[in-house]
Amino acid sequence: MLKYSIKRILLALMTAFIILTLTFFLVKSLPFKGIVSPQEHVRWAFYLDQVNKGYVIRTEVESPQYGSLLEKFVMDGKDYYFYQTPIVDQYFAWLKRIVTAWDWGTSTVLKPNISTTTIIGERLPVSVKVNVISVFISVPLGILLGIVAGLNKNTWIDHTISTLVMIFISIPSFVVISFLIYFFAFKGNLPMRWPTDDETGAVKALAYIIPVTALSFGSVCGYCRFVRAELCEVMSSEYLLLARTKGLTKRQAIVRHALRNAFVPILPSILAEFIGVFSGSMILENLYNINGIGSLYIDALNNSDYNVLMVDMAIFTTIGLLAGIILDLSYGFIDPRIRMGEKR
Amino acid sequence: MKKNNIDLENLPIEARDESIQASDFTLVDNSTRVHEQKFQTKPTTFFKDSIKRFSKNKSSVVAAGILGTLLLLSFAVPIIDRNDVKGVHPNMIYLQPKLLNAGSGFWDGTKKWENIAVDVGEHQDATTEEEKQEFWWPSPEDFKQNAVSKKTFSDVTYTSDRNNYANGGYVQFGISSSSNAEYVAFTTHEISTLDITAGDIYLKSFELYDLTKLKAEEGEDKAFFPDNYSQGEVELYFNYVENNEEKSIKLLDSASSFSVTSPINLSTLITSDANVVANSITTFSDCDFELRIKNNNSGANECVLIKSLEFETNNTKKEAIEAPNFTDANELMLREYENGNNLSYWSCTGNKKLHMAKVIYCNFTYDSYEAVFGKMVMGPEKLFESDIDQYIAKGWCNFDYTIEYDSVNDKFVVTDFDYEMLSDKCPVKDITKVVATSDGTAVQLTGEVEYFRYYGYDRMPKFLMGTDKNGRDMFKYVFEGLRTSLLLGIASFIVCFIIGLIWGSVSGYFGGTVDLVMERITDILHGVPWIVVMTLVIKHLGQTFFVFGLSLCLTGWIGTAATTRTQFYRFRGREYVLASRSLGANDARLIAKHILPNAMGTIITSSVLMIPSVIFSEATISYLGLGLKGLSSLGVILSDNQTQLTTHSYLLIFPAIVIALLMISFNLFGNGLRDAVNPSLKGEEQ
Repeated sequence: MLKYSIKRILLALMTAFIILTLTFFLVKSLPFKGIVSPQEHVRWAFYLDQVNKGYVIRTEVESPQYGSLLEKFVMDGKDYYFYQTPIVDQYFAWLKRIVTAWDWGTSTVLKPNISTTTIIGERLPVSVKVNVISVFISVPLGILLGIVAGLNKNTWIDHTISTLVMIFISIPSFVVISFLIYFFAFKGNLPMRWPTDDETGAVKALAYIIPVTALSFGSVCGYCRFVRAELCEVMSSEYLLLARTKGLTKRQAIVRHALRNAFVPILPSILAEFIGVFSGSMILENLYNINGIGSLYIDALNNSDYNVLMVDMAIFTTIGLLAGIILDLSYGFIDPRIRMGEKR
Repeated sequence: MKKNNIDLENLPIEARDESIQASDFTLVDNSTRVHEQKFQTKPTTFFKDSIKRFSKNKSSVVAAGILGTLLLLSFAVPIIDRNDVKGVHPNMIYLQPKLLNAGSGFWDGTKKWENIAVDVGEHQDATTEEEKQEFWWPSPEDFKQNAVSKKTFSDVTYTSDRNNYANGGYVQFGISSSSNAEYVAFTTHEISTLDITAGDIYLKSFELYDLTKLKAEEGEDKAFFPDNYSQGEVELYFNYVENNEEKSIKLLDSASSFSVTSPINLSTLITSDANVVANSITTFSDCDFELRIKNNNSGANECVLIKSLEFETNNTKKEAIEAPNFTDANELMLREYENGNNLSYWSCTGNKKLHMAKVIYCNFTYDSYEAVFGKMVMGPEKLFESDIDQYIAKGWCNFDYTIEYDSVNDKFVVTDFDYEMLSDKCPVKDITKVVATSDGTAVQLTGEVEYFRYYGYDRMPKFLMGTDKNGRDMFKYVFEGLRTSLLLGIASFIVCFIIGLIWGSVSGYFGGTVDLVMERITDILHGVPWIVVMTLVIKHLGQTFFVFGLSLCLTGWIGTAATTRTQFYRFRGREYVLASRSLGANDARLIAKHILPNAMGTIITSSVLMIPSVIFSEATISYLGLGLKGLSSLGVILSDNQTQLTTHSYLLIFPAIVIALLMISFNLFGNGLRDAVNPSLKGEEQ
């Protein structure tokens, strides 16, 4: 098990490394316009800092061989020209900075000269708060609905739940969010947008309702389908028949045998769901003005703040891979017969 | 079989078995030999069998029907509907969706407006319903009167804020209990120099809030005094400056003496003041009028509420003296708001606000089609003589006029005109006014015009899904968008399917190192979130249809490849493959002729659900601001109209319904297809 786990983790680390490398090259080859700030000294400080870190080259004569000019400064009668270092050199400088100083780059547009890790640190807690609440609501609710539907297979209860799940899983999330906002915020009493810091506690609490509902919809539907399918499969298995034959009541058979086995594949995905709280839903955060890392992605994208975008991409990638590992490994822990991703 | 007559019920149990005798059985007729016979039923193929299984699943059949209809509409509507959705049509913006005729109350192009302030204008005293219906119209003027119907007026509402459509009310002018000042003042703008002998000044009217009187008029519940305030005492002063020293003359005091029945001559009061008489002043500099609310220090907030205050004079400074007059408190507050630091309002050292101004609100139905296409008066800025000439040429109407030169006033006048409509097709129903231009060569026309005919329609047009901010017909626009989305979905499905099939076949068929390497590559690609892939590709290559397809295909094939690989693992060791191989078939033949046909059903059905997910991805990326440029897709339409959710929700409802319907029916259809092709997977959720 240990050997298997280590192998999986190393493999995922390698995958993450390759993906981040590819992303770095693709992001850096986008046309970079330099820092956007009205104050000259801020820009000057930024470029000097970047020179120290190895991302930018400073010359005193115009040197078109380095590509397009970022900015020209005249300081004490001297001309200074700033150019981007070749991308490969930037890549190694970037790796070095990450390993030695955990420095993932500096924001250029959203918050000029602030390190991207600080920005992520500000944005992440908001997303996590909303996500955690929605996980705590949607997972139990989804499982409950799934069990109800599974135990009442092919009755009107099952049909109703399955149809609703089918409908809600098919409607795109932005449509759901739009209409939640329309009916419950515009026509109802809930806040139209995420509150700012200086609003009252009641408004802040109410503001959770729409985002949590919106996030829960998909999750509830997903778990409901999953649990129902697993339970249906288990319910028709022979060991459950045996359990009933040896005299267990239906309740005992379901709780002790059916549910336990049905939960073998469900539990890992719940664990993976908890890793997922660290990412933000871009559309929801954009539509409801939540300053999380999902909306940070859109802000960075629309403002061409590529360093921030890069880090945000890295987070989304890492979380995806991490969730995958947790899913596969926990399978193995829960049911030692299963080795996900191993050669069959 | 012969029926036995033994009474089974009455036999002992042990005897029952023996009661069945050999004679009870008859042998089957074996006089003719049974040969192999042809099937009486028709032989069925796998495909036919699948169709049969599929058609048993009612919801999938319905979904397939809906899907087919949407597909058909997405290609037919953009061809059949002739409305232009490329350009901008400023005159047709935001028409409500209309299917039924106006007045049906649902989907009829009308919108119900609630609590819109009424601009009563001069008719604030209208009491009968007929008068109200005739004179009271909702404001602002964007509401065309011919399109408004079913007006109902709510009761008078009181407001304490200045409001463009309010009238009456009182200026509440108060001093707070915490103030230490002797009084607070309410001053007119300074009148620079005033010669009191140049004309008399009268206090024409001054009306204070009278709670008892008001309760009798308006009713107990509507007449009230502002919370936390008690009635204060008020005095009127005349201020002037004498030798750099500010002087005040008290003209009137206490609320009671202000009940002006006949005009009070202020000039007399000023000139009889002891100080003025003593110094024999007739001309005052820096003078103004001032109302003071005395602070009784009673511990309560005090205020007075003034309904009207008017000076009248024949003095040379008439304008400056009469400027601060007001008979409508709301109007005074608005005047102050508009003019800022102008001489026409009263400045104040205490607190000042509006109290009990009346606003009338109106609920009504507004037909946006009438407002755009109805019969309305068209002025000379739009109705040109050349238009009329066109209609005359078509034989729709006759129009004649005579211009004469009026030498007295040195201008051209139209002395006579005659308009006659010959055909119903003519947009111009009547000409009401003809004015000659200054050089007398042409005329300016005003007339009643049926606008839909003017715009070239034969009937009042109907837009099933309304029009958007550019006046585009949403019905055509949405289905054009659907067509783009579907094309994108199907195109990338085909490409991804082919790539995935090849990749999965090779990886699954050869296995071993080849498989391991190929799997690692898919692992890496699979690890990149699709949103990151799409962002980077679109950022690098632009927002075109081709780039969208490319970015969707970059990682889209992985699912198909994985299914194909599993299927190949399943079939490659089967006996028929071995048999074929031992007969000398090469790898390509084994893959293409033996394994693939067996695996195809599963692969196709599990991959077909890629189409809705591609449509969904495209819509999502539009929301991030990276949507298709120059092409409409469902995602682009939805994200463009997102901001108008609260004002024109229909712009979102219709595309949302279409996309939801598409997704639901695609999913149901896909699941049904999978169950039909692959009965062993039935009930498993994807």
